[in-house]
Amino acid sequence: MNPEKLKKYNEFADALDMLDEESRFEYIIDIGKAQDDTPFPAEAMTDANLMHGCMSKVWILHDVEGDRHYFRGESDAIIVKGLVSMMTQSFSGLTREELAELDLDYVRRLNLGSLTMQRQVGMMAMLKHMQKLSRSEASAGARQRG
Amino acid sequence: MTQAMNAAFVGHNDGAPYDVDRVRADFPILGETVYGKPLVYFDNGASAQKPRQVIDAMSNVFEHGYTNVHRGAHYLSQQLTDRYENVRGTVARFLNAPSPEQIVFTRNATEAINLVAASYGRSHLHAGDEIVVSVMEHHANIVPWQLLGEEKGTVLKVAPLDADGALDMEAFAALLGPKTKLVAITHCSNVLGSVTPAAEIARLAHDKGIPVLFDCSQAAVHMPVDVQAIDADFYVFTGHKLYGPNAIGVLYGKAELLAAMPPYQGGGDMIARVSFEKTTYQEPPYRFEAGTPPIVETIGLGVAIDYVQTLGMGAIAAHEKELRRYATERLAELGGIRLYGTAPEKAAILSFVQDGIHPMDTAMWLDRAGVAVRVGQHCAEPLMDRLGIDGAVRASLGLYNTKAEIDIMIDALRTARAKFT
Repeated sequence: MNPEKLKKYNEFADALDMLDEESRFEYIIDIGKAQDDTPFPAEAMTDANLMHGCMSKVWILHDVEGDRHYFRGESDAIIVKGLVSMMTQSFSGLTREELAELDLDYVRRLNLGSLTMQRQVGMMAMLKHMQKLSRSEASAGARQRG
Repeated sequence: MTQAMNAAFVGHNDGAPYDVDRVRADFPILGETVYGKPLVYFDNGASAQKPRQVIDAMSNVFEHGYTNVHRGAHYLSQQLTDRYENVRGTVARFLNAPSPEQIVFTRNATEAINLVAASYGRSHLHAGDEIVVSVMEHHANIVPWQLLGEEKGTVLKVAPLDADGALDMEAFAALLGPKTKLVAITHCSNVLGSVTPAAEIARLAHDKGIPVLFDCSQAAVHMPVDVQAIDADFYVFTGHKLYGPNAIGVLYGKAELLAAMPPYQGGGDMIARVSFEKTTYQEPPYRFEAGTPPIVETIGLGVAIDYVQTLGMGAIAAHEKELRRYATERLAELGGIRLYGTAPEKAAILSFVQDGIHPMDTAMWLDRAGVAVRVGQHCAEPLMDRLGIDGAVRASLGLYNTKAEIDIMIDALRTARAKFT
């Protein structure tokens, strides 16, 4: 995939790469605490946007602009918010086909052993959820950004 | 079979006071580090660590004496069958059960409850009959009764708790009516730590001719247990929380109840005679043990029970009571902690939420400090609903935990507050 398309992803991955294990954990917490450029609207924290099967609540909101898919993530736990923010910021702006190319190797670069395997499984579930949203019938009718 | 395998159990039975450092030396995993920090294992309620004695005994069977049981005419089979069957006696003595024949081996406590629901429940309960549980039951003591209800039309009645998280005995007694045909209740909550007054529960139920099943997955670990003093009809626990291996659990039942129960699963080992016209079944406990059992795990359980009994369940309970007192005091000092479960009779299980911090954040922060806790709903979703929370952090302490470890947790909770609020 064109590295330009994964600019944000590479920023995260490079930053994590330079940090030691302890600092990576703090870095993810800081992302979780930071205000997003596009904050998650409180009214979108609904069951419909809830991802199931998490020990904390995770909401992912999906928008479409042309053939590009945009995501925003939220969680009630700060560390999980950090993880979902990295995922949604990293993989926003891709097409459905580009999203489909992403796999566990991409998730691993954002994990780097700084978190447990269980978290990696959780992040993979987030990616799969985003891929599913981009494929869904509803995505045709998903909220157009603008 | 080697001498080593039959060697006497080496324990701490020398009359000395409880020496936690010596106990810890028996658990190899406690020497591990996580993220470069010493492991503080406070997830004993989920599964406890195993002493060297259990690990060695199990390896020893695999290396020197493994075969199937109850079958072969050969030396190994006879030796191992004797050793396997002796564990029934060990468990019977542990529970003060009248006879080893009243000890049924299962995979775990969940299977033991499912066995009672499927065998006793299907044969003795009918549409409209009521089963009384409490609101603090583990899912394992809820769902099997719901499955039975779907099939037979039995009804679940739920006894509430008081403000401390103790069973509301008045409300419980009021639920026992002419339609009540079984009480299935925890002896110790896996979330709140509340210990229920088992003997009193049994007395109230028996006054109305109702049998009682106790889920003792936590109780059997934290305190001395006497099924005859309680007058329990069924009593279930699991090996892996009792410092033994997983995949082995126990159902104790009164002899007359077990004798009146049909088989649970069919297969080898549980039959007397098999023909295509008519198969007859073994007497309990074998009737309920179809197929090759978890042989090595059963032997491991026997050694685990020897281990805790050598330390003394009373001594373990006293040690844990002091840990609980200390942890409760330190959590209160720290402040900003909502502790769930403050019943006077309580095991060393501390479920809590830090004000303004998601339990998941607390748990992951503790993890980074080397402290292993559980987070979430603890397989007790109805209780969580009743408490009005999504989840909690649970520190469940065991026989090898120390005050110094509690201090490590408290320090990490303090830094968590600085980080997350």
